[in-house]
Amino acid sequence: MTATPELSFESHALPNGLRVVLHPDRSLPLVTVNLWYHVGSKNESPGRTGLAHLFEHMLFQGSAHVPTNGHFRYVQQVGGVANGSTSHDRTNYYETLPSAHLDLGLWLESDRMGFLLPALTQENLDTQRDVVVNERRQRIENQPYGQASERLYALLYPAGHPYSWPVIGTLEDIVGATIEEVRAFFRTYYAPNNAVLTIAGDIEPEDALARAEAWFGEIPRGEAIPPVVLPSYPDGRPVRSEAERREVFADAVLMPRVYIAFATPPYGSREWYVADLLSSMLTGGKSSLLYSDLIYDRQIAQEAGAWVHLGEAAGTFTLVATARPGIEAAEIEARLAGHLERIAAGQIDQAALERARKRALTDYFGNLQRLDMRADLLARLTTFFGDPGGAARETEVYRTISADEISRFVATWCRPEDRVTLWIVPKDAA
Amino acid sequence: MSPVRRDGAPPPTEARGFRFPAFLKRRCENGLKIYAARVPRVPLATLELVFPAGGHWDPPGLPGLATLSASLIDEGTAGSSSLEIARRAEDLGGYLASYAEWDYGAVEVGLLASELEAAFDLLTEVATAPTLPEREIERLKKLRTTELERRRFEPGTLADEQLARVLYHGTPYAESPLGTIESIARIGRDEALGFFARHYPLGSATLIAVGDVDPEAFADRIESRLGKAPTPFAPPAAEIVPADRKGLSIHLIDRPDAAQTELRLGHAAVGRRHADYVPLLLLNTLLGGKFTSRINLNLRERHGFTYGATTRLGGRLGPGPFSVAAAVATESTGAAVREVLFELNRIRTEQVSEEEMEETRRYITGVFPYSSQTLGDVAKRLEVLSIYDLPDDYYDRYLERIASVDRAELLELSGRHIRPDELAIVAVGPAEQLARQLEPLGPVEVVSPA
Repeated sequence: MTATPELSFESHALPNGLRVVLHPDRSLPLVTVNLWYHVGSKNESPGRTGLAHLFEHMLFQGSAHVPTNGHFRYVQQVGGVANGSTSHDRTNYYETLPSAHLDLGLWLESDRMGFLLPALTQENLDTQRDVVVNERRQRIENQPYGQASERLYALLYPAGHPYSWPVIGTLEDIVGATIEEVRAFFRTYYAPNNAVLTIAGDIEPEDALARAEAWFGEIPRGEAIPPVVLPSYPDGRPVRSEAERREVFADAVLMPRVYIAFATPPYGSREWYVADLLSSMLTGGKSSLLYSDLIYDRQIAQEAGAWVHLGEAAGTFTLVATARPGIEAAEIEARLAGHLERIAAGQIDQAALERARKRALTDYFGNLQRLDMRADLLARLTTFFGDPGGAARETEVYRTISADEISRFVATWCRPEDRVTLWIVPKDAA
Repeated sequence: MSPVRRDGAPPPTEARGFRFPAFLKRRCENGLKIYAARVPRVPLATLELVFPAGGHWDPPGLPGLATLSASLIDEGTAGSSSLEIARRAEDLGGYLASYAEWDYGAVEVGLLASELEAAFDLLTEVATAPTLPEREIERLKKLRTTELERRRFEPGTLADEQLARVLYHGTPYAESPLGTIESIARIGRDEALGFFARHYPLGSATLIAVGDVDPEAFADRIESRLGKAPTPFAPPAAEIVPADRKGLSIHLIDRPDAAQTELRLGHAAVGRRHADYVPLLLLNTLLGGKFTSRINLNLRERHGFTYGATTRLGGRLGPGPFSVAAAVATESTGAAVREVLFELNRIRTEQVSEEEMEETRRYITGVFPYSSQTLGDVAKRLEVLSIYDLPDDYYDRYLERIASVDRAELLELSGRHIRPDELAIVAVGPAEQLARQLEPLGPVEVVSPA
């Protein structure tokens, strides 16, 4: 149907444990330097949440040889772009530069991996705490439906489970973070043996490897990384909350919105890709199941969505739809549940599955047009599976998933008793 | 490699140049233009037909007509219903969408490059002979009306829209291109049919093809299929004249329980085709177009007032806005406004250092290849050439022009184009608290969202 994406790579490990992945592609004069640290909010503990994300901000505040705000300045003044992001499971940092500036990217990244502590000041922490508090207000508290994902994860995972608290942290914990905690976090998790360096683009692999060794080789290996212990049932299911399985949350919104979600097998399992393909079948385009039924035919929803979270500890498979004015949340919930019931009973249109499959594959390739996205995929595959060569495997899985497997997935993982339900309803109506 | 020196940024190796991909341009007998570029990095392609059919052409009293008409185009043809069109596109491994922006309307298909022929047929059928079914227009109007009601709950949207009303009342720019609840109620199938007939003739269209395609062969096929039959031409764009402004004004929208305040400051600026537009892009980048720009560093990194502050230059056919945007801590709103005013006055009165100039020039020229990576990126850039009638070597000239702006020119440009005394300031948050902070700066009115 479509060609396999060309993602040629070399993979190396330095003596200090840093894994180096090289992906040459000389079609544009650009190079991406991408670092994944295998640490995210799931490495935090209750009462100390938001540290991984706050720490990501601190990593742009300079290091021993780079002044405060120097990172962005050095990158942008040569025509590069830089950023970072934090999830439950990992934190990444990346810059894409004109390829003549590969050393600049390696210098900046190795300086903050190996020489950060002298620049971790109270003053920088104070400013970034304010910035993150404003980030939390802007993205979560001052957005319609902005608090949904926090509420949903809190319902789905029991207190103490590392997915039960939000990546950005609670307001209280962000404000309470101390410089000692930030330093300890760095010492524990920001070591070469907990990182993957990916260099992609206009490079000669041999030369790029020599440069990576020169910049990163002298950074000492850190202590073994403390493992995250994930409770699970004897049958292998992710542990789930037995407390409250349903919540109605009042917010400044016009229309009620219904979320139903399930804790499902983690990224990398075959079931995860089944959930991803099912998401595409449900809401991938106008002809998808939820769009054509809820929005087009019945006109009871303003919008609908489905996705599976890319989680190392568990996938979180979520369906959502927003009720049109005058439509009850209960009606939306019943329609969403009905679709799952029919799929579990084996009612799957083969043509719809084939369209969803095509879309999943073109999306996969479409995302790989950007150099930074390719580097990020290689880093993800290496961090989670220890092997950058998973793209061919992933696309092969999408090609071979059958209608039966989709039915079985829903029948096994998305039973009514597995479900959590969240309604976000207008404040005045609550 | 020899041991590294960490005490300063390492020097670059030899630079490789970049030029915007070569493309074919052709003008057919009937006026249809074709731009085609071969970008073979992925087995995908994108095809779009672009028309002079944006919100700019919304008639008085009917804002939203352009975008609503555009969204109807992919809702039915003589042979295919709405969902059948969607399925046909999805069977080609892609999608089909029709939409309008301020300056154009477009019908676009993404596809697997191997399906080019079928995709072209589908695009032609949908874009040239849509039936605009009555049933679908009623459905889309309902969705649109709800969307407009919902936007009243989004503080950032409220702020953007209020700024536009103050700066452009009496012109199409005063309302969102999505229209208003009242105007959407006034639009029926006749209005949409009329708009389509006036604004979507092939003689005024541009076909853009980017991907793993053969430009010559493809252009020949398009020309023989679409480029011969004479068609009428769409009406030209009328001039848009911003509202007269005397002095600074402050407009508050009250959200008593808001966790934060959405802040906008702006005034009308020049259009995309103005001779100063390109150098003004540099000015905008320096002020608020990148992380290390003056206003972001001031508001975010120096003061911690916000998660981020940006400036934008509208860049439309008409005189779109220059605006500053940030979501700020409510208690810091007055201080944030003062800092923005300080930066806007400073840029007009003090020459920028050569170092800051060079950093900004190099940033803009350096990110150009980065922002030309995908099929979509390349198609967008070709779209710009067509919509604004720019020369084929525009992107080479653009990069040269950016590199040529010096400190003296920037100061002179700032003096003419940045007008802090004429700013409209909009803040969406707890009005009582905001009024106390902002009253010392100018006349304050509290408005209720339209």
